[in-house]
Amino acid sequence: MLIYFVRRVALTVPTFLALMFLTFVAIRLVPGDPVEVRVGEHGMSPERLAFFRHELGLDQPVWKQFFDYVWKLMHGDFGVSLATQQKVLSEFFTLFPATLELAFFAMLFAVAVGVPAGAIAAVKRGSLFDQALMTVSLFGYSMPIFWWGLLLIMFVSVRLGLLPVSGRIDLINYYFDQPTGFMTVDALMSGQPGAFIDALRHLVLPAIVLGTVPLGVIARMTRSSMLEVLSEDYVRTARAKGLPPSRVIGVHALRNALLPVVTVIGLSVSGLMAGAVLTETIFSWPGVGKWLIESIGRRDYPALQGGVMLVSAVVISVNLLVDLIYGAIDPRIRHGR
Amino acid sequence: MKTITLAGLGLAAVLAGAGAASAKTLVYCSEGSPENFTPSINTTGTSFDAARPVYNRLTEFKRGTTEVVPGLAESWDITDGGKTITFHLRKGVKFHSLKDFKPTRDFNADDVLWSFNRQWKPDHPYYKVSGGKYDYFSDMDMPALLDSVEKTDDYTVVMKLKTPNVAILANLAMDFMAIGSAEYADFLLKKGMPEQFDQAPVGTGPFSFVAYQKDSVIRYKANRDYYGEKPLVDDLVFAITPDATARYAKLKAGECHVNAYPRPADLAEMEKDPALKVIHASGLNVLFWAFDVAKPPLDKKEVRQALAMSIDRDAIMKDVFLGAGEKATTLIPPTMWSFDDKIPDVPYDPEKAKALLAAAGVQTPLEIDLWYQPVSRPYNPNGKRIGEMMQADLAKIGVNAKLVTYEWGEYRKRAQGGEDMTAQLGWTGDNGDPDNFFFLDSCVNGKPINNNIPKWCNAEFNDLLVKARVVSDQAERAKLYQRMQEIEHDEQPELLVAHSIVYESMRSNVTGYKQSPLGTHAFEGVDLQ
Repeated sequence: MLIYFVRRVALTVPTFLALMFLTFVAIRLVPGDPVEVRVGEHGMSPERLAFFRHELGLDQPVWKQFFDYVWKLMHGDFGVSLATQQKVLSEFFTLFPATLELAFFAMLFAVAVGVPAGAIAAVKRGSLFDQALMTVSLFGYSMPIFWWGLLLIMFVSVRLGLLPVSGRIDLINYYFDQPTGFMTVDALMSGQPGAFIDALRHLVLPAIVLGTVPLGVIARMTRSSMLEVLSEDYVRTARAKGLPPSRVIGVHALRNALLPVVTVIGLSVSGLMAGAVLTETIFSWPGVGKWLIESIGRRDYPALQGGVMLVSAVVISVNLLVDLIYGAIDPRIRHGR
Repeated sequence: MKTITLAGLGLAAVLAGAGAASAKTLVYCSEGSPENFTPSINTTGTSFDAARPVYNRLTEFKRGTTEVVPGLAESWDITDGGKTITFHLRKGVKFHSLKDFKPTRDFNADDVLWSFNRQWKPDHPYYKVSGGKYDYFSDMDMPALLDSVEKTDDYTVVMKLKTPNVAILANLAMDFMAIGSAEYADFLLKKGMPEQFDQAPVGTGPFSFVAYQKDSVIRYKANRDYYGEKPLVDDLVFAITPDATARYAKLKAGECHVNAYPRPADLAEMEKDPALKVIHASGLNVLFWAFDVAKPPLDKKEVRQALAMSIDRDAIMKDVFLGAGEKATTLIPPTMWSFDDKIPDVPYDPEKAKALLAAAGVQTPLEIDLWYQPVSRPYNPNGKRIGEMMQADLAKIGVNAKLVTYEWGEYRKRAQGGEDMTAQLGWTGDNGDPDNFFFLDSCVNGKPINNNIPKWCNAEFNDLLVKARVVSDQAERAKLYQRMQEIEHDEQPELLVAHSIVYESMRSNVTGYKQSPLGTHAFEGVDLQ
C-alpha cells in the first residue's frame, strides 16, 4: 500500500511542472501584456511603458521569468495580483470556499439523483423509465451550461418567482460576518432567522446547473455498472437464498456497482471546476472560476498562473484521493493486478 | 415515505424563503469588482463608481451635468492671469469612521496636500503603496501643469500653475483627485498596514464604507453628517453581477433597483415593462474618420467634404450601433456645455460628393487607404464593419479605399505618427471640459500634437483654444468653443461619425436618479418610493 501511495504521489510532480509551464507560456501567447491592456485613448509614452514593464519583470527573457516564477513558487510565494495588488494566495482563499460550496452541492445533487435513477433504470431495464432516463441523461450530458442556467433563471426565478436570480444571499435582508466563507455555515452561525434557508435557496439553481453534466454521467455509469453486477453469480445466489429484492439490489448489487461510480465522481471534479467558470458567471457566484476568467482579460499573469496552479492542485489531490480510496476498497488495484 | 415527506417539506421551506424587516436599502447591480477603493491608482469606471459614494473632491460635477461646482472647496479665486488659484475650503466637514478608526479632527488643508502629494511626490510615504501607478494624474498632465500646491492656513490652499489653464478646475472634479484623510493614512502607516488605505476607504462623501466581499457585494451606509445633498436611503448595496443578462433578470425580479449597462438587445423589452424604466444620454465620447491634410488631394477642403458626404452614417447607426449611437455634428457630445446646436449635420449626398471631387480636379478612381480600429471601443462597436460600409459607400463616388489595420497599440502609434491617409479613431472624454475634446485638433508652435490625427493646423482654431484656457467665465468660454465648432465644421479635417448612446435601466419606483454625461453612477439624492 505504501509503495502504491508513494508511486501515485510521485506521479503528480511532473503533472504539476507541465501545468506550470503550459499556463506560463499560454498566457504570454495572448496578444497584449498587462501594461498594454491598461492603456486607453491617451496612449502611454514609451518611457512609461518601459518603466512599468521593467517593474513587472516583463523586460526579462521569458525563460528567466519562468525560472524566477518557479523559484518563488517553490518558496510558497504565489506573487501579487497586478489588478488588485493583493496576494494571489489570499485572493484565492477568499474565493475558494464559494466554489467549494457550490461544487459540493452540485455533486450532492448529481449523486443523490443520479445513483438511484441509474439503479432503478438498470433494474427495470428496457422499461419506459429506463429509456426516458437514458434520453434525459444524454441531454444533461450535452447541455450547454450557459443556456441551461439562463433558461432556469428566466423560468424559475423571473417567471415563477420561486427562487432568487443570483448571488449567495439576500443582500437587503441579511448581513453577517463570514468567518468560514461557506455561506450556509456562516448563515447558520449568524443566528439570523431565515438566513440559512435563504443561503440554500440561492444554492438550488446553480447547483442544479453545475450538477447536470455529472448527473448524466453518474446515472449512465450507475446503470451500466449495475447491469453488469446484476448478471453476476453472487446476485443470482442471493436471490436464490430467498433474500428480499430490496436487499439483493440495495446491498449486494448496488454496493459493488458503485465502485466504478466512485472513479467517475473523482474524474467529474475537474469537469466541475471547468463548469464552475460558466456557472459562477451566470449566477454572479463569487468563486475562483469567475476570478480566473477576469484575470485572463486583464492579463493578470500572477493571478492567472497562481489560480490555475491552485485549482489544479485541488483537482489532482481529489483524483489522488479517489485513487487511494479505490485502492483501499478494491484490493486488485493496489496489488497491480 | 416519511423521508420523502420530510424532504418535500424541506424543499417547500427552501422555495418559500423567509423575509425580514429592513431599513431602506438601495441595491445597484454593478458590473464587476473594483480593483481597490482609491481612484488615483485606478483606471476603470467600475473602480471609480465603487469609491465615489465615499469621497469628495475640491470641485465637483453638478449631478447629471459636466458643470463644475464647489465641493470641498467652497470657493476659489483665480489671479495672476490664470496662473494662481486660491481655494477656500469648507469648514466643519467630518470624515467617516470605521471599526478601528475614529477621526479626531475635521477635514482641512492637510488632507488636500496629502491627496496631491501621494500622486505627485516620489518621496511621499504612500507614493509606492499598492503599486504606485497614478495613470490619471499623469494622463491629465498634472505634473506638467502644477508648479506648487501649498497651504497658507488650515482652510486655504494656493495652487500655482506653470501655464494658465482653467480647465484644471474640471480635472480637480475627476475621481482621481478624491480627497482622502491624512489622519487615517498616518494611523495606518503607524500600524504598518498602509495598503489598508486602498481597501477600506475613509472619506467625507454621502455614504461611508461598511464592507466589501470580492466579486460579491460592497456595502455602504448613509453619512448623516454629509454637507451636501443628503442621501435618502439608509443603506447602499452594490450587488456585483458581471453578466448583463443576469443583471436584467435581477432587475426584473426586484433583486436590484438600478442596473448598470443593460444590453442594447434587451432595451425594447425593458421599455415595455411597466415595472421598469429606461433612460439614456449621449456618451462622453466621439468616433471620427480623420483625413490627413498633409496628403494630397486631402489638402483640399472640397475633397475632404466630398469624402465626408459620401458616407451613409444612418446605415452605420442602424447596422453597427444597433440604436446605441447617434450621428455626431461636432467633436463634443450634445450634453456638454458649449455644444453648438446650430452646426448642421453633414448630409449623405453621393451626387454632390462626385460634383465636389470633379470641381476640385480629382481624377477618379481615386486610391486612398482607410484604417479601421482593430478593437471595439464604447464609441466604435465594430471598426471593421464600419470600415467595410465606408469602403462600399466610397466606391459609389469612384474612390477605392484599401482597408488597413494593425494591433491596437501599434495602430494608435502609427496613426499618431501620420502614416495613414484616412483613419478611424475616437476619444473618450475625461473631465467634461470642452478643452479635453478640442485639444485633439490642436497644434503647438505650428506643429500638430500627437493626438491630432488629421495633422490639421488652423491658426484661428488654435488661438481660440489657448484663449479659452485663461478665461474664467464659462459663458465667455462657451462662445469661443462655439466659434471653434464652426471652423471645424467648415474645414472638415475629419468626418465626425458618432457619439455612443448610454442606456441605464431601473425599477419604476426609483426616484431622483440622474444619469451622468460622464458615464459615472452616483446615488445621493436617489430614493425608493
